[in-house]
Amino acid sequence: MVRNLISMISRGIIFGALLSVAPALAQSIAEKVEVCAGCHGQDGKPKDKTIPVIWGQQAGYIYIQLRDYKRGDRKNETMQPIVSSFEKDDMRAIAEYFAKKPWPNLGQPRSPKHVAQRALSAEHSVGCTGCHLEQFQGDGTTPRLAGQSQEYLAKTIADFRTRARGNNPGMTDLMRATSPDDLAALAEYLAGL
Amino acid sequence: MDRYSIACATLFGLGCTLAASSHAQEVVNPDQWSPPREAKISPVTQDQLNTADKNTTNFLLTNGNYAQTRFYPAKQINRDNVKNLHVAWIFQTQVKESLETSPIVVDGVMYVTTSFSHVYAIDAKTGEQLWHYSHKMGPVTTYCCGPNNRGVQVLGDKVYLATLDAKLLALNAKTGDVVWNTDIADPELGYSETMAPTVVKDKVLIGTNGGEYGIRGFVRAYDAKTGKLVWNFDTIPENTVGVWATKDATGRDMHRDIQAEKDQLAKIGDPYKRLGGGVWQNPAVDLATNRIYFVVGNPSPDLDGAPRPGDNLYTDSLVSLDLDTGKFVCHFQYIAHDVWDLDAASPPVLVDVKDKSGKTIPGVIHAGKTGHIYVHDRKDCSLIRFSEAMVPQENMWTLPTKEGARMLPGANGGVEWSPIATDPGQDLAYAINLHQPMHYRVENSPYPNGKLWLGGAFTAIPGEKQSGNITAVNYNTGKIKWQVKTPEPMIGGILATAGGLVFAGEGNGKFAAYNSSTGKELWSFRAGAGVNAPPSSYMVGGKQYIVVGAGGNTQVNFRRGNNIIAFTLD
Ligand code: HEC
Ligand code: HEC
Repeated sequence: MVRNLISMISRGIIFGALLSVAPALAQSIAEKVEVCAGCHGQDGKPKDKTIPVIWGQQAGYIYIQLRDYKRGDRKNETMQPIVSSFEKDDMRAIAEYFAKKPWPNLGQPRSPKHVAQRALSAEHSVGCTGCHLEQFQGDGTTPRLAGQSQEYLAKTIADFRTRARGNNPGMTDLMRATSPDDLAALAEYLAGL
Repeated sequence: MDRYSIACATLFGLGCTLAASSHAQEVVNPDQWSPPREAKISPVTQDQLNTADKNTTNFLLTNGNYAQTRFYPAKQINRDNVKNLHVAWIFQTQVKESLETSPIVVDGVMYVTTSFSHVYAIDAKTGEQLWHYSHKMGPVTTYCCGPNNRGVQVLGDKVYLATLDAKLLALNAKTGDVVWNTDIADPELGYSETMAPTVVKDKVLIGTNGGEYGIRGFVRAYDAKTGKLVWNFDTIPENTVGVWATKDATGRDMHRDIQAEKDQLAKIGDPYKRLGGGVWQNPAVDLATNRIYFVVGNPSPDLDGAPRPGDNLYTDSLVSLDLDTGKFVCHFQYIAHDVWDLDAASPPVLVDVKDKSGKTIPGVIHAGKTGHIYVHDRKDCSLIRFSEAMVPQENMWTLPTKEGARMLPGANGGVEWSPIATDPGQDLAYAINLHQPMHYRVENSPYPNGKLWLGGAFTAIPGEKQSGNITAVNYNTGKIKWQVKTPEPMIGGILATAGGLVFAGEGNGKFAAYNSSTGKELWSFRAGAGVNAPPSSYMVGGKQYIVVGAGGNTQVNFRRGNNIIAFTLD
């Protein structure tokens, strides 16, 4: 039974169900995620505007980011030490854990019309929704952008452009092909969705 | 039901529903109002599949038949009465995302798929749901251009499906239960599946997506009974250098710096391991010679040629293999060392064509993103002719720059993955096209471990008008017979019928029938969401139907919906 459970956790399949049936095992994940709340928020609302929302984010995307921090493909002084001891199975389970939480409402205002128009015209040129999907909800390893913190979006977009965030050259190329003013409009628009 | 859900059900009951991994469009509360019913079909024989081109009852293969003509031989619906065509039923799937499915119809049962690899079996007469297969997607999916699925094929009593998380499945055609399940490749390295398999002689043929992620592409045959690999053909051979072609298939200079490429080759060696070469669409099967014909997509990274010196064989090519062994027969490369992503995606079609001397020979034709229809000799893949351009071409072949160079056609084509139709009686091929003026930009970055690797960006030019068209081309002369302009770029597919008609849909929701000899519009319908899927036709209860998906499109961002709409006459 226990071995069965472990193999299922490792497939990242039934983590939620586990909480009720196998508290001892579940705790280790619960312990691992305790530290996250300090920055990403007890209720899913990050403590600082430059920290991203991870509650309700796509599981595939969270897993890949944790993997990239660990590999050093995505560099960040805060996150890299936190994930350094995680194994693949931990990262999959943590990703499932946060993916199942509800996305928090940060209360960011809808962007004004002229900003939205600018954002949508840039969207149309690049085709952001071709990957992030129609409502910017993301899927699999492509992140949800709708309702993400504006300050974080602006920062990570800038990091893509300068390659300070180097874990996805495809996104870097698309950001470099878009003007800074259009990107500022996009960050404001996406945050207000 | 797959293994995991059974384990879930017995161990934890309800807990499992809570634990299911969340995908954007996952159906959380699936079919409580539609208890599964049996799809009463008799097993589909290889014989039936071989003669699908003459079958006026069923629609057995994604593109109608193994030659992929998309010519449906029934003519109850024709030029005289098509004006009376009306909705027979509308089936609403639970997934409101891009619909690219080609409905398959067997004995009055229709099989359709949706984004995120769902399959529905529907009563083709009434539109009632029989069963629904909701794929338990793995957490990691990497794909370009939308979570699409283009359909299934049936052989014997099994339905074959390839999924977004790169698995190949056989389902029980009557119940939708999983019979076998095989991993095709690792999604973490950029592999995914959106095409419908082609099943022939107990082999399930499947390609792969991933040309945007530095994969090494392939076409494979799996055993239809067991799911075991029979053969693998790497679309990227170990020597990809080729002949240092300086001109494309139409004779235009591609502005390659051959010396610089040779120097780079000496430095880094053959780039075959990460060279891309996805196969997006079904192979055509020549039953007489036991060969298959398919086209291979773009090299990785799409727009930056620096990390990949040489012709990049067999990207952007027509390729033929032996069906039994997967051994290479011949190829023809349209664009060597492509840096525009103007690759080959639309499935090839086998028809008899006139060679250069006017003799009728077995041919194979392909509609390119370049906007040309290419006509080949089936024997050795050689090019006989190419058609007039179906879309405006400007500044070909300007190299992508840091700032962005304007060139037409844009990177979606011409003809995208959309299958063409043919009417062999009229020597005509029908293609739907996009016209999207774009800037091509180049950026340089090393292989990113299975992440998006574009080598730049192509961006639509704000303010420049986009449009589309339906074009009928005489493949024996290369001349355009007629063209209908549409207000928006076209993506999805087209069907020709013996009733003298072609059917095609648009992103704005219009679905229309045209006189296949003149292009005159004879009937239309507004679906309310983008009609960006290839139509099918079938007969049940003595009546002919036309069916098409209206779910919009992710890639060109047409309005999403979730409808399968069947039309018939009174
Ligand atoms: C000390 C504060 C802090 C703690 C603790 C912390 N994070 Fe982070 N996290 C950040 C910051 C800041 C970023 C943005 C870093 C960057 O720009 O790369 C981030 C980014 C992320 C991202 C990327 C999200 C995205 O949208 O790209 C994920 C996933 C993540 N953290 C998960 C976790 C998990 C899981 C834990 C607990 C195991 C955790 N974090 C603990 C501060 C923290
Ligand atoms: C070809 C697919 C594709 C397109 C087009 C695309 N993205 Fe992305 N985007 C991705 C993927 C995949 C990631 C995840 C990057 C990673 O692996 O770290 C991403 C990440 C992002 C992030 C980081 C989110 C976070 O939580 O850190 C932002 C912001 C973003 N994209 C914005 C955009 C915008 C704005 C556009 C259009 C102008 C766009 N993207 C177009 C695929 C795409």
